[in-house]
Amino acid sequence: MSDVAVQHGLTGAYEPSLFGTYSKKIGMWLFLLSDSLTFGALLYAYSYGRISNPSWPTPFHSSSIINATFMTAFLLTSSLTMVLAVRASVDHKPKQQMWFLLATMLCGTAFVVLHGREWSHLISEGLSLPVFPSVPGAEASPEFVNVTRDVPQFPATFFGLTGMHMLHVTLGVIYLGVIAFRKKFIPVLLLLWLVAWLGTPAYSPFHYGAHVLLVAAIVCTVILWLKPKLYDSSDVEVAGLYWHFVDLVWMFIFPLVYLMSTRIL
Amino acid sequence: MDAVQTAIVERVAEQHRHHAKGQFFWVWGALLVITAIEVYLGYQNMQPVRMLSILMGLSIIKAALIIAYFMHMKFEVTRMRWLTMASLVFCLAMMCVFFPDAFRILHLAVR
Amino acid sequence: MATTAALHAHAPQGFIRKYIFSLDHKVIGLQYYFLALVAVFVGMALSLLMRIHMIWPTAVLPLIGEIKPETYLSLLTMHGTIMVFFVLTTAPQGGFGNYFLPIQIGAPDMAFPVLNMLSFWTTFVGFVVLIAAFFVSGGAPLHGWTGYTPLSALPSAGPGEQLGADLWITSIAIFCIASLMGALNFITTTLDLRAKGMSMMRMPLTCWAWFITAILGLLAFGVLLSAGILLLLDRNLGTSFYVPLVVVNGQIMAHKGGSPLLWQHLFWFFGHPEVYIAILPGMGVASQILSTFSRKPIFGYKAMVYAIMAIGLLGFMVWGHHMFMSGMSPYSAFAFSVMTMAIGVPSAIKTFNWLGTLYKGRIRFQTPMLFAIGFVSMFVSGGLSGPFLAQPVLDIPLHDTAFVVAHFHLIMGVAAIFGIFAATYYWFPKMFGRMMNETLGKVHFFATLIGTYCIFMPMHYLGLAAQPRRYSQFTEVAYLHRLIPLNEFITYVAIITVAAQFIFLFNLFWSMKKGAKASDNPWEATTLEWSTATPPPHDNFGGHTPVVNHGPYEYNVPGAPRDYIMQTDPVTAEAH
Repeated sequence: MSDVAVQHGLTGAYEPSLFGTYSKKIGMWLFLLSDSLTFGALLYAYSYGRISNPSWPTPFHSSSIINATFMTAFLLTSSLTMVLAVRASVDHKPKQQMWFLLATMLCGTAFVVLHGREWSHLISEGLSLPVFPSVPGAEASPEFVNVTRDVPQFPATFFGLTGMHMLHVTLGVIYLGVIAFRKKFIPVLLLLWLVAWLGTPAYSPFHYGAHVLLVAAIVCTVILWLKPKLYDSSDVEVAGLYWHFVDLVWMFIFPLVYLMSTRIL
Repeated sequence: MDAVQTAIVERVAEQHRHHAKGQFFWVWGALLVITAIEVYLGYQNMQPVRMLSILMGLSIIKAALIIAYFMHMKFEVTRMRWLTMASLVFCLAMMCVFFPDAFRILHLAVR
Repeated sequence: MATTAALHAHAPQGFIRKYIFSLDHKVIGLQYYFLALVAVFVGMALSLLMRIHMIWPTAVLPLIGEIKPETYLSLLTMHGTIMVFFVLTTAPQGGFGNYFLPIQIGAPDMAFPVLNMLSFWTTFVGFVVLIAAFFVSGGAPLHGWTGYTPLSALPSAGPGEQLGADLWITSIAIFCIASLMGALNFITTTLDLRAKGMSMMRMPLTCWAWFITAILGLLAFGVLLSAGILLLLDRNLGTSFYVPLVVVNGQIMAHKGGSPLLWQHLFWFFGHPEVYIAILPGMGVASQILSTFSRKPIFGYKAMVYAIMAIGLLGFMVWGHHMFMSGMSPYSAFAFSVMTMAIGVPSAIKTFNWLGTLYKGRIRFQTPMLFAIGFVSMFVSGGLSGPFLAQPVLDIPLHDTAFVVAHFHLIMGVAAIFGIFAATYYWFPKMFGRMMNETLGKVHFFATLIGTYCIFMPMHYLGLAAQPRRYSQFTEVAYLHRLIPLNEFITYVAIITVAAQFIFLFNLFWSMKKGAKASDNPWEATTLEWSTATPPPHDNFGGHTPVVNHGPYEYNVPGAPRDYIMQTDPVTAEAH
């Protein structure tokens, strides 16, 4: 890389970076390597459970698949807007950057909302974990109840994998929000927390899951207080790396969890 | 260090400006098309193993597109490309050692 | 990054920013070191209680009372967890790595100082959560540091498996996140912040060891994190990732369809690299010290670097040798056995090179050198039982005996601890500006060396005589009666050896206040940390960045004016 350094006059007091890019980006890539192994391990655990339970059910109706396809489309589109936001930031177009980041966040939020609806729907149908309280007034469908009873691995892996991914998407939206709006995002986040907390019934897992937003708001406040700096194009790009990674993980979860369990009519 | 970092950030930004914006739309389109193919395949009556191989193959293509274009990896230096991707693929490949045991449970399990 | 310049311009004032929430890697390194020091004494006390319980199972101890069998298992679990995570991972990597990696490569600080601080405080929280497991109802968990399921996944499996086990898993998960932050910081620092002239192949072997260790940590801890998350789900949300249909106390559990093997795979996928995370920094320190005190260049620098890399790579391919007993597929067992044998090769290369470094050296037997030689000795004695255990045929009879306890304590426990001691005696002058007492150091060394050998060597024989490990009581078992005297011997030696560690503790704190003043380069060593002031200023080199002109171990170069050439010395004609 020494040629790059010489070419760009970067031969300061240090040896040129071995990876030829700035530290934050290397740090984020290293984090993503580790995180992809975290998700890799989860997917392997899923595959392991699926292989060792031969009567694996395939219960997803077309409504679930269509929903998941829309979710995928939202995520892919959000990746596109993210790339455009990075582009706007290197072109020094703050307005455009802000709008593209907002679009990315909205697509991400749409993903989480659609997914949350899907979860609630499946839980009320009877695909559930032992600790999820039963939904009052809902009529469980026998096929999902049977799945939960006969192959508890199915709901476990479904909620485990997609829940972990949903958490990553949520944190990604918050990350982008902080990059795009900085301090102004904290009240929005708190508002979202209240909406998600009070807007969901007490039997819903999201009633408690919403507190992730509160914790994130506190952490973001601390970070913004510790490092009250303006974010430049490198910060947008690094946040983008994280966002694309979340998208990438879904590219494996979607076929493995949904498409491989499609109910073929 | 700070001057160096700022200079590198500026260089990376300059590199970004040289990319045609159009390629992102092409990649996005390709990803959507592959997703559509996957959903279509999901409704075909196929042996699970064959379906899994095709779906995973397509997903790896999608992941590669995302990493290469959206995550900019195609334009990073060779050393970074190889070291990061090789270590990741190596670790994930090692985890395939789990599977013989998953299959063994089928044969050894009490029925 | 603009803030970093401001950070280095002047040292922070005020106690809290300077010593508690400090961004200075040196302070953070010391914080890690003292955390490990607290942890190691806690862990040692636990092991002593275990030894006492083994030979006097009904003894009533002051304050603690009688140790019940389940308490013994709690002691076992907490001893293992504290030692592996909060001592062997924390001290050599977090402590010395944090302090000396930036200095040895010529950087003013780590690449991400805030992340560095967060990493320490997250580790600290993890430690507090772990210790809290002692005090909750039911007490500390029973499942060993490996947390084997289904025992660890079922709250009804025992008294410690209630809240204590949840705290244990949470602590491990927190530790994973902390290590992750540390690891990516170490890697980025090594890649980005080497001073001019410090090419990768001019880095001291300590830096190589910390660098490879960080890569191992980065790739291994993520897997443990997801394994821990799934275990938490199993325990608290009623899923069955790791639990097959089981009966506990005559009751059929609601779980079914999971597999304990999955946990073992995920755990050891992390667990084996973790062994190298513990030992690699020790190897780096031993290389550094052996070269310095033999007044010779390290024998085969490149071979050492490639051996570290090979160990790192192979470290990810051998985890199955912990699982030969588990009903794993025999074909995988065969492959793991072969790979485990193969990892002996780079380890042997390193040992050979250490001996080659000593050969015909003008050896100075000062305390750091003694501990470095002790490290090599422990590494060899512990390593030689490795090839036995690498073979499934031998491992299956030996695995659940004291033989394995002897093996991993020698190679991973004591060897790594010797590495930590060597590093402490070696770098103490740089860290605190004073020398440690030589006489006390030598007494400490011989007591520890002889003590640990007397503890762990007989355990090989206990294992061959089929004394099971993890059993709280064996004195009632007829066929083990003849082993009681040997066990008593081990316990007595253990008490003496633990007592000897207080010599070290005294020496450490006494020398901080009263030790002889240290010069900038008391050992006449060559690497960058010895070219700066003692103790190093806030930005390590006092406002400038060193320029490196030499390799790390240029001792007794023919034609040079002194018997060592600092890395920063100017290039001269006669030096080459």
